[in-house]
Amino acid sequence: MSNAVQLLAEIRQSSERRPFEVLKLAEPLLGSGGGLGTGADAWLAYEQVFVAAIDDGEMELARAVLGRLHKRFGAGSQRVKRLAGMFNEAAGHAAEAKRMYGEMLAADETNVLASKRLIAMLKAQGQLGEATAQLVAYLDTHGNDFEAWLELSALYLRQQLYPQAAFCVEEAILQQPANHYFHLCYAEINYTMGALDVALKEFLRVVELSTDNVRGFYGVRLTADRILEAKRRPKKEQPAWADAAPQPATLERLSELATERLLSVYGAAGAAPKRAAEAWLQQS
Amino acid sequence: MPEHTVSLQAYAKAVLHCAKYPWATVHGLFLAETRDGRIRHVDAVPLAHTWTELSPMFDVALQQAQLYAEAKGLAVSGYYVAYEETDAAQLSAAGALLAKAVLALNADAVAFVVDAKSLGPDATRAALIPFACVDSQWRRQQPGFAAAGKGAPFVLENNRVLESTKALVAARAEIAIHDFDEHLGDVALDWLQNPVLSERIRAI
Repeated sequence: MSNAVQLLAEIRQSSERRPFEVLKLAEPLLGSGGGLGTGADAWLAYEQVFVAAIDDGEMELARAVLGRLHKRFGAGSQRVKRLAGMFNEAAGHAAEAKRMYGEMLAADETNVLASKRLIAMLKAQGQLGEATAQLVAYLDTHGNDFEAWLELSALYLRQQLYPQAAFCVEEAILQQPANHYFHLCYAEINYTMGALDVALKEFLRVVELSTDNVRGFYGVRLTADRILEAKRRPKKEQPAWADAAPQPATLERLSELATERLLSVYGAAGAAPKRAAEAWLQQS
Repeated sequence: MPEHTVSLQAYAKAVLHCAKYPWATVHGLFLAETRDGRIRHVDAVPLAHTWTELSPMFDVALQQAQLYAEAKGLAVSGYYVAYEETDAAQLSAAGALLAKAVLALNADAVAFVVDAKSLGPDATRAALIPFACVDSQWRRQQPGFAAAGKGAPFVLENNRVLESTKALVAARAEIAIHDFDEHLGDVALDWLQNPVLSERIRAI
């Protein structure tokens, strides 16, 4: 019993969405009449299995697990009520779900779980403008929720609002300046917008904050090369940031360094990717 | 419009890429051989399931896929994308730009938007909506995929492609597909060939 329960706990820790595995681990335990562990952890596992069940369309199982949670925590539990709302969302009963979340907010207007579900529903229904507006309002009062800033960034990207998306990632970076993932996101958004000077700085930050970050080094190589190319154009055709960008000698050295690191990392790669990467890196 | 055939390898890999990340927008490339003016999309190279509106890693992957294709006597022939929104039937603005990058390498390149509604076990038609670039705009090609052998511009290579793909999805074969995103986290993963999966598809 303990092994499956442990694995479920590990999946919870990783916060990855792996419904098939969760169900595979949990079903034998539930079927045998046993349970998903003891104590508070068991209820976390039930919640996890519930989410996996609605993810995989196993509505009967979801209903049964929800029933157990209701029995244990009662009708007053906001956490269980949210799960009931999610059940309704998954079953296509959007109006019912909205009503439940509305009730949760009426009881407590600061209920973060309910606000987020409403925004998620708008997103799922394709109402990106409205979802954006509500998430912006949410962040007005919960500005330290960096995950929400990233969610808003993703919403802006889907609407091709790149500068706004970049601003959101800046907010996340302010809260976690050493998180290389945020710098990577910021670098890639800036690259996409054509702000290559910012992109280069941020890709360099990524490789500084992590070890042998392949995305980061590809970013350094790409950006350094493109800035070099931009600086070789006639003065009037150069982008606005060209003057402020590093000198060609520095850019060449950065490009070489990135190439060196990538060649080293690719030593351990599979045959086809290694050949393609090496061919790409040898191009000037 | 030349005739386009999509093989089981290409179709199944694209669908399995979707199956691995059903909550996300995923996109990738098709590789094709051309013979007698007929374009046969014989393989798919899955690219990403995160940050699919962003260009730097797409640029790297596209260029490397091109190098790989050339070495195999193939060409990068198509851009496929499955949007998070299950009712999507158009290329997004970002997708249109990425597809144009493929077009820059191959003037015959086409784009495919995955029709999520045709991915289920009861589907009777290919889940790919074809687009061709006409006057700088990506235009949906009607009537889309026809049953094999009817001489329509877009066909699957035979009438077993759909059933074989469904069988692979039912068997959870997507566990063996690794896209460029995953490769960037672990370079040992072969995103270009996905050899274990290729073999599985060949054997079905």
